[in-house]
Amino acid sequence: MRPRWRKVLHDLIDNKARTLLVVLSIAVGVFSIGVISGAYQIISNDMSVSYAANHPANVELRMANYNTDVLTSIHNAQGIGEAEGRRVNNFRVRAQGSDQWVALDVVALESFSKNQVNLLAPVSGAVEAGKDEILLEKDALKKLNAAVGENLTLELSDGTLKELKLVGIVQDVSTGAGDFLAPPFAYVVMKTLPTLRQPELFNRAYVTVAEGQDDIANIREVGTALKDRLDKNGTAVSRTRFSETHKHPLADTVNAILGILLALGILIVFLSSSLIANTLSALLSQHLRHIGVIKLVGGRNKQVFAMYLTLIMAFGVLALLIAVPLGGQGAYGLALFIANKLRFNLLGYRIVPMALMIQVAVGLLVPLVAGLAPVISGSRITVLRALSGDLAGDENKPQAGQPDRLPWFDYMLVRVTRILAMRGIHIPRPFIISLRNTFRRRGRLMLTLFTLTMGGAIFIAVFNVRVTLHDYIGAIGSYFRADVTVDFDKTYRLSEIQNFGLQVDGVERVEAWQFIGTELLYPDGAVADNLNMLAPPANSKLVNPIIVAGRWIRADDVRKFAVSEAILNFFPDLKPGDPIHLKIKGRTEVWEVVGIFKFVGREGILAYTPFEYSSQVLNLTNRSSSYRFVTTQHDRATQDLMAERLDHFFRGAGFKVRQAESGLASLDTASESLDTLVVFLLIMAILTAIVGAMGLTGTMGMNVLERTREIGIMRAIGADDRAVMRTVIAEGFVIGAMSFGLAIILSIPFTYLLSTIVSLAVFETPIDVVFTYMGYAIWFGLILVLSVVASILPARNAARLTIREVLAYE
Amino acid sequence: MSSSIIELRNVSKTYSTAAGDFIALTNVNMNILAGEFLGIVGKSGAGKSTLLNMINGVDQLSSGEVIVRADNENISIHTMSEDERARWRGKKMGVVYQSFQLLPMLTLIDNITLPMDLSDNYKPRESKERAMQLLQLMELEEHANKLPAFISGGQQQRVAIARALANDPPILVADEPTGSLDSITADHIFEVFEHLITDQGKTIVMVTHDVGLVSRFSRSLTIADGELLSESIPDTKLNHGRKK
Ligand SMILES: Nc1ncnc2c1ncn2[C@@H]1O[C@H](COP(=O)(O)OP(=O)(O)OP(=O)(O)O)[C@@H](O)[C@H]1O
Ligand SMILES: [Mg+2]
Repeated sequence: MRPRWRKVLHDLIDNKARTLLVVLSIAVGVFSIGVISGAYQIISNDMSVSYAANHPANVELRMANYNTDVLTSIHNAQGIGEAEGRRVNNFRVRAQGSDQWVALDVVALESFSKNQVNLLAPVSGAVEAGKDEILLEKDALKKLNAAVGENLTLELSDGTLKELKLVGIVQDVSTGAGDFLAPPFAYVVMKTLPTLRQPELFNRAYVTVAEGQDDIANIREVGTALKDRLDKNGTAVSRTRFSETHKHPLADTVNAILGILLALGILIVFLSSSLIANTLSALLSQHLRHIGVIKLVGGRNKQVFAMYLTLIMAFGVLALLIAVPLGGQGAYGLALFIANKLRFNLLGYRIVPMALMIQVAVGLLVPLVAGLAPVISGSRITVLRALSGDLAGDENKPQAGQPDRLPWFDYMLVRVTRILAMRGIHIPRPFIISLRNTFRRRGRLMLTLFTLTMGGAIFIAVFNVRVTLHDYIGAIGSYFRADVTVDFDKTYRLSEIQNFGLQVDGVERVEAWQFIGTELLYPDGAVADNLNMLAPPANSKLVNPIIVAGRWIRADDVRKFAVSEAILNFFPDLKPGDPIHLKIKGRTEVWEVVGIFKFVGREGILAYTPFEYSSQVLNLTNRSSSYRFVTTQHDRATQDLMAERLDHFFRGAGFKVRQAESGLASLDTASESLDTLVVFLLIMAILTAIVGAMGLTGTMGMNVLERTREIGIMRAIGADDRAVMRTVIAEGFVIGAMSFGLAIILSIPFTYLLSTIVSLAVFETPIDVVFTYMGYAIWFGLILVLSVVASILPARNAARLTIREVLAYE
Repeated sequence: MSSSIIELRNVSKTYSTAAGDFIALTNVNMNILAGEFLGIVGKSGAGKSTLLNMINGVDQLSSGEVIVRADNENISIHTMSEDERARWRGKKMGVVYQSFQLLPMLTLIDNITLPMDLSDNYKPRESKERAMQLLQLMELEEHANKLPAFISGGQQQRVAIARALANDPPILVADEPTGSLDSITADHIFEVFEHLITDQGKTIVMVTHDVGLVSRFSRSLTIADGELLSESIPDTKLNHGRKK
């Protein structure tokens, strides 16, 4: 090998700690970008492909009971491709040998073999259920501990128990794909319905359009026309849901979240490149003498430049060797995790060429960009300066051409210590030396502080975002959650339920709520969307709305309602007092909006009207099928217990209970999905923290290296190992503490930014930010540990230097 | 008389510092003859290194001319850029400093090969052989694959000289090459230099503050406060045959 390349090789392998530091800094950035871009590619492709592969319905209709004649008419309607009728009922189900009831949506199909829409994919056991047999969707297994071959017990609406044989597990990626809160599914054949005391009639229709399956406008048009026809012919349609074939209903949310992760990934690359710039400029200044020698014996700028460029590229290539395989694995892992959470399938492990290219580009370009300036200025340096320049390249050391004065910080330090000493306060000398060292290299200190501060600020912000999201979910819960909600299969008088309910120990209050399924109409009569109208008593304490405009409902409101912000998607200029056309029970009516409140945009448009008025609309005076119970205590355990107790009690008294649910039950699912998101944010935050810690280690290492002579002198005048280590660690500590102070400040805008982006992606509405001391406390502990750990290695190296080595060092 | 190989005309050097301009060389005129062993003597701070750095192109003069006539070329050092000077120096002028300036991570043989690698004067195979010959000349062949840190100072200086000879330049300039060596080791270095002049016809310019060494040069110039003072031609074996 030519000697100049041999030198480059030695530069690479002789100082392993430095090489490792640079390579890892590049690798962290390449890894995070690789994971996110890879996952992004895999998910955006597989999510739609796997969704489309199961022939998802473009239109889902929830209807009153209907028969095969109606199904045929649906089939023959304009623009319809496939149409399948199903019956969906909610049952309480428990596994063999368990006393834990789980609510399942039991879907009855006409025929498993003729299944055309929302296909079921086999997982294990049979793919078809015969009479009195049942299949489970694989997600149900998370809640139901059942095995193929065992019996499942279903509780019928009249309280009797029926056993069905579990013959297989299937996967259904289409039904309920866009619904975070959907209960798990089970499947039976229509012939089983009599066993379940249900009529052999459909109540759902799953329909595909004949053409334009990826054109949401077309789907909406065909679906709305179909619905109108059904309504007109006497089959009431209570809800419709539209979706494209090649677009998973949650695609936008997932993309938005990956977008946030990508932004963080880019930030990590950015931070790591500042770290690389730091290390490389230190390397170049340590190499000044080498450059001088090379030029002395005839080396030209170009040659020096090529040598150091090669070194930098070698760092990049080494980083790629580490980060590309890990990044590929990580990308698939992340994609798989998201796929499992959101119930879609991946097409198998693979390397994403695009992600690979991005990684290679980042791995080579980042060190190039970060190192270009120091390499160019290093290769242009004159022999004279290179050979005469102080090897440490001490910025503040007076050099030829600089006035001979004390650096400002040293000057301050001397003044302050002198003043303190006059008052009898003596700062330990090593600590003063540490402080002086910390500020000696101002550029390097800035970059280190910047990386550590960014890492800390993001870390803290992620904790704030987590609390913000949970707080918001809590606020959402306060809209329509009591301690226990009991739904009945038929309506009961309020007085009757009150009489019975208040007998149950721990029940404080009972409220009857009603529900009106309506449709929001454009002024021209076209359907804009479903509008779910809840009707609590106007003075209900069980709703605690976040009003954005106007007011909340009042008992004397007639044809008036408060509506969630989601309505602004259809009527952007809507103000309280404006009229809105609604379709209620087949009739078009004009209602007045009295107020607009905040709510999860994704869950559709929610509206409230007073119970006092809804009873007139529904013709149900003081009757309802849905009751909210307030208990004396509001913790989760009490709520669960009370739900169980009320369920028992009402069944025992002969009421037809459909389900009794504790107030926080379904919020758990939502919190769970949010926690997944928070975990990802936290991983990114930890990666940034790692970059920061590496930056600190590098800085400490460089500082120690450049002070080798000084440390030697300290040792020569009697400083022991511990004194030397203490000096170095104190230095790391000061940097860590400074970055913590800065991170506190920076975390505030970061919290706002991140919360807003996440809530827009997940809830489709900006939310109020909440702060928690948690992130601050954890980061404080972490930064203390990190700064000590980051200093220990350089400190140990410093302590290990013998005087002989120090004098040999040049 | 031999022809002049290096010619300095009215060379001045001014350093500008915060305390004002400092004149390190004033109107230096001199001719260095081919094949001579020229000593430049002076006290510390006299401007010896400054003068040498004008000759080897490490530093840029403030005014005047430096012309080198070697291998049938007339080169004006002062008109070249720093980069051009490096390229020229690599081929035509070997430089030796008091602090040997070897690259610590390269073996002796690689240190010597480096200038040949950079100038592309020799093929890799040839340069390796040539480096080995130079090591033999310096009687260091058994250390060829050692790192500089593992040999003595005198040995390191001989490696530095071998490296200066790598591209077979006609001129060698040395700044206090024996400055950090004991007298016996220093003697050895002088023997090497004398051998290079008599056997290989090199021209050597050497700087020292040690007046006691004057007798070893074929000619010596004294410099004080940036000005050339006197010339003396001692009676040495190098001068036999030249002097009447
Ligand atoms: N870069 C510079 N900037 C300012 N003054 C300089 C610079 N280099 C040298 N000098 C000054 O020029 C004068 C001559 O310096 P030079 O290094 O040539 O002396 P020298 O004769 O080689 O001394 P020594 O025997 O100590 O090496 C000195 O006074 C020195 O302080
Ligand atoms: Mg000198």
